[in-house]
Order: sequence, then structure tokens, then C-alpha cells
Amino acid sequence: MKYVVETKNLTKSFGKEQAVQSLDMKIAKGEIYGFLGPNGAGKTTTIRMLLGLMKPTSGSIQVFQQDLKKSRISILSKVGSLVENPSYYPHLTARENLEAWRKILGAPKSRITDVLAIVRLSDVANKKVKGFSLGMKQRLGIAAALLNNPELLILDEPTNGLDPSGIIEIRELIKQLPQSHGMTVLISSHLLSEIDQLATTVGVLTKGKLIFQDSIEAMRKLAKQNISLRVSDQDEAHRLLLAKGIQTDYQKDRLILSEFTDEEIANAIQFLVQKQIAIYRVEEEKRSLEDIFLQMTREDQVG
Amino acid sequence: MIRKLIQVEFLKSKRKGFWLLVFLGGFGVVALQMVNYGVRKEYLLQQSDNDWIYYLMNISNFTPLALVLGIAILTSFMTSIENETNAWKQLIALPVSKLTVYLAKFTVLAFMLLVASLLLTLFTYGYGVFLDLGAIPYGALLKYSFYPFFASLPILALQLWIATVSNNQAIPITTGVIGVLPSFSAQNLPDWLIWKWPSLMNSWNEPIYYVWLGLGVGCLLYFVGMFDFARRDVK
Repeated sequence: MKYVVETKNLTKSFGKEQAVQSLDMKIAKGEIYGFLGPNGAGKTTTIRMLLGLMKPTSGSIQVFQQDLKKSRISILSKVGSLVENPSYYPHLTARENLEAWRKILGAPKSRITDVLAIVRLSDVANKKVKGFSLGMKQRLGIAAALLNNPELLILDEPTNGLDPSGIIEIRELIKQLPQSHGMTVLISSHLLSEIDQLATTVGVLTKGKLIFQDSIEAMRKLAKQNISLRVSDQDEAHRLLLAKGIQTDYQKDRLILSEFTDEEIANAIQFLVQKQIAIYRVEEEKRSLEDIFLQMTREDQVG
Repeated sequence: MIRKLIQVEFLKSKRKGFWLLVFLGGFGVVALQMVNYGVRKEYLLQQSDNDWIYYLMNISNFTPLALVLGIAILTSFMTSIENETNAWKQLIALPVSKLTVYLAKFTVLAFMLLVASLLLTLFTYGYGVFLDLGAIPYGALLKYSFYPFFASLPILALQLWIATVSNNQAIPITTGVIGVLPSFSAQNLPDWLIWKWPSLMNSWNEPIYYVWLGLGVGCLLYFVGMFDFARRDVK
């Protein structure tokens, strides 16, 4: 499989502290790769290395199957990026800011008007960025990242500082980029809900280590299911099941069966029915991805 | 690529007051002599046989001061454009080489100083003619206007280096201001001190030596600064 981004054993240390440890990141073409991790996990450091802003302590980075160290400039001409807080020149207008970057990228001038329209800043194009709100500056940063119609778009916490409608807008925009422009997107966030709604693949980083990297479906599968039962006689049911060797979690108005296969659940229910206990509800309780994420990062801390 | 980057640097220097400073640098030095000659012209004309050269000497007393101060201010303005919102990362993540970025900044700064030197020539010439000092020594006029520019290139290279790699902008300002001090007492200082060079005073009595030294050491410090900038991780 050909990857757009592939890092091997990527490590970055600051003094004794290892910010990123032997990272093997793989991003296939057309994916939206959600790069997830708590604050300070090393996401931004990784992204900075992918953009050649920082030199790795060891390991290699391949982007578009080219070595980043050797062909940095030709790679970056096909990459758009927004790193951390948006950078801009406050004394220039939005249009002038984009013009400063466009000139270096060599994109056509008309592209400025296009990207301003995409992020809905056309009305304030000729106003100085100094007076912009954080959300507007963030949009300007996204506009700048789109200037060269990149093949790989790298967005570090792109919805920071945006209001809810802005978040939805940007999410819709990012979602359609792979289909409409054939872009591959790397988007980092510390909010799982955000990645959950966008990403096709997820990488979870904690304390500089990649502890999970797979499709979002695979991550959802990790959401082990609980089955909750509401029955006519809860005490009796609990006792009967226990006698048969089935552990249940006794709660106020229901019994919880966790980590059972479909067959085991069927057997348990059939058994209860035979014992004349009426079944009112059999419900599946999915654990949220948020829980899985927390569990993953916690497990790593313990281990 | 370098041409585009230089255009971008000029675009970014808009509304920052660079050109006002350039004008004030050239004009200010002559303006001091306007006051001087306005108040006591008769006395000053009695001081020497060659009124033009004496007038040029008076002007060149203040040229180094203006140059060194101008360099400190312009370089710190130049890097503040990127430092203000940490735009270095945005700029360096574009398909450009860091060496070219540095070269563009240096070129624009050197160009501004050159324009200031040209303005100095024009104002010196204009006021000299107004004072009616006799035959105009064009050679000396150009020498005292442009030699200090070349002699100050090492200071420019050093200041740009310090300003681009410092996290704390108080550092380049401090070195810049300290650099101004030697221009007050140039004759007492050793010849190797680069801050003395714009005054053109040396023990060989050959101002042109400082032009060659300025170009040579300027290049050297420029390359050291450029490679150090390229070597470092972007903030």
C-alpha cells in the first residue's frame, strides 16, 4: 500500500525528555486521519516534524514516498498547513496576508478570492487582521492552508476558538475535501467527539507514543457492549443467574451483563424465561468512544 | 524564488514606518548641521580653508550614530513582523529554503540602508549648495555618504543574526544600543571593533580599508548567521 505520510521510528527529544517516541505513522491517500491525544502528548511536535519545522532526533519521514530531508521543498509545495495558533501579519489586510503567502506558493491570484469565499471572509477581505476575532483569524489560517490546493492538508486543532456554527461549517468543509479535491487530511485534536465525526482513520498519541492506529470502525469495535435487563423480579433473576454461574451487575432497576457473546446472552434470557420471569427490556448500552479513549490513555499510564 | 521573497518582504514592511525611518536617518544627520550652520555659520566658515570638506566632516560626525541606531531599529522591526504572531512557522512551512528567507530579509534591510545613504548624499549636497561653500568636492561627498554604509555591513549581519535567533527581543535591542556607544568615542577604540568602522577613523588613515573590511567581515558574519538560522528548529 502506498502511503501519503509514513514515518519510521520517528523520535524527537528535548534534552532528556522524549516528546515523541518511535512513532510509526501511516496515512493512506484520501483518508481523513484523526490525530488524537491529550494536550502535551506530542501531536504538535510530530506535525512540526512533518512540515520540516523541526528536525527529528532520529527516524525517517516519507511524504508522497519522498524523503522529507532530501525533498523538503518539492513536498511542501503540495502541502497546506495550519500549525497551532494561527499566524498572520496584523498590520496587513486579510487579502494582503494571503497575497504574501500566495506569491511564495506561486498559486494564481484568483485563488485568494476563492479561499476567502470558502472560509466566508470575503466581506472583511480588505480589513486589517489586527481587528479580527480569534475565529476569523483561524479561518484565515485555514484559507492560507488551502491556497495551493494541497494534496495533503495538515490542520493542527483547526476548530480552536471557533463558535459552534463555525465548527460545523469547518467540519463540513473538511469532510468533503477528500472526495471533491482528492486531498488527504491530517487533523489533530484533543477532542474525540470532533475526530469521531470526521475521521476515517484514527491515531491515538499519548506521552509521545502512538498507542492505537486503525480505522475508526476498529476503534468503535473496542467499545465493548453492556446489555441491560429489566425483568419482573430482579432479585430472583439475579439469584437464578448467579446459581447458573452467570455474573450480573445488580443495579437499582436493572441487571447489567457485560462482555457476553450473543449466544451467552440468548442462553441467559432463555433460562430466565423458562424460570417464569418476565423480560420487559433488553437494551444494549454502548460505551462512548470518549470512554475508550480515556481507558486507552489511562492504561498506558499504568502500564 | 529570491525575487518573489524580496517582493513579499516589501509587502510585509508596509505600514510599519520603515520608509519614514529611512528618510529620517538621511535627513536627520543633515538637519543637525542645518541647526549648526544656521546658528553660527560665520564662525564655522572661519575654522578652515576648505569650507566644503569642513562641512562634510561635521556631517560625518553623526553619520555613524544614525547608521548604527538605524540598523538596530530596522532589524528589530524586520524580525518583529514574524515574531509578533510567530509567523516564522507559517513562512518556513511554505516551499522555501530557510537560507533564502534569511537572504531576503538581509537584502531588504541592506537596500533600505543604501537608500538612506543616497538620501544623505542628496540632502548633504542640497544644503551644501544652499550654504554656497564653493567648488563641490564630489568624490569626498560620495565617500562620506557611502563608505560608512559598507563599513557597517558587519553590524547589520550581526544584528540580524541576533534578532532572528533570540526568543527575547530585548537582547538585540540591547546589543544594538550598546553598539551605538562606540560611535561617540571612535578615536579611542581599537581598530578591530566593528562598531568603530562606520566612523571611518583608523590608524592607517585609510577609510577605504574599512570598506573592504566591512564587505569581507560582513559576508562572513552573514553566512554564520544564515547557517545558524537554518540549523535551528523553528519556534
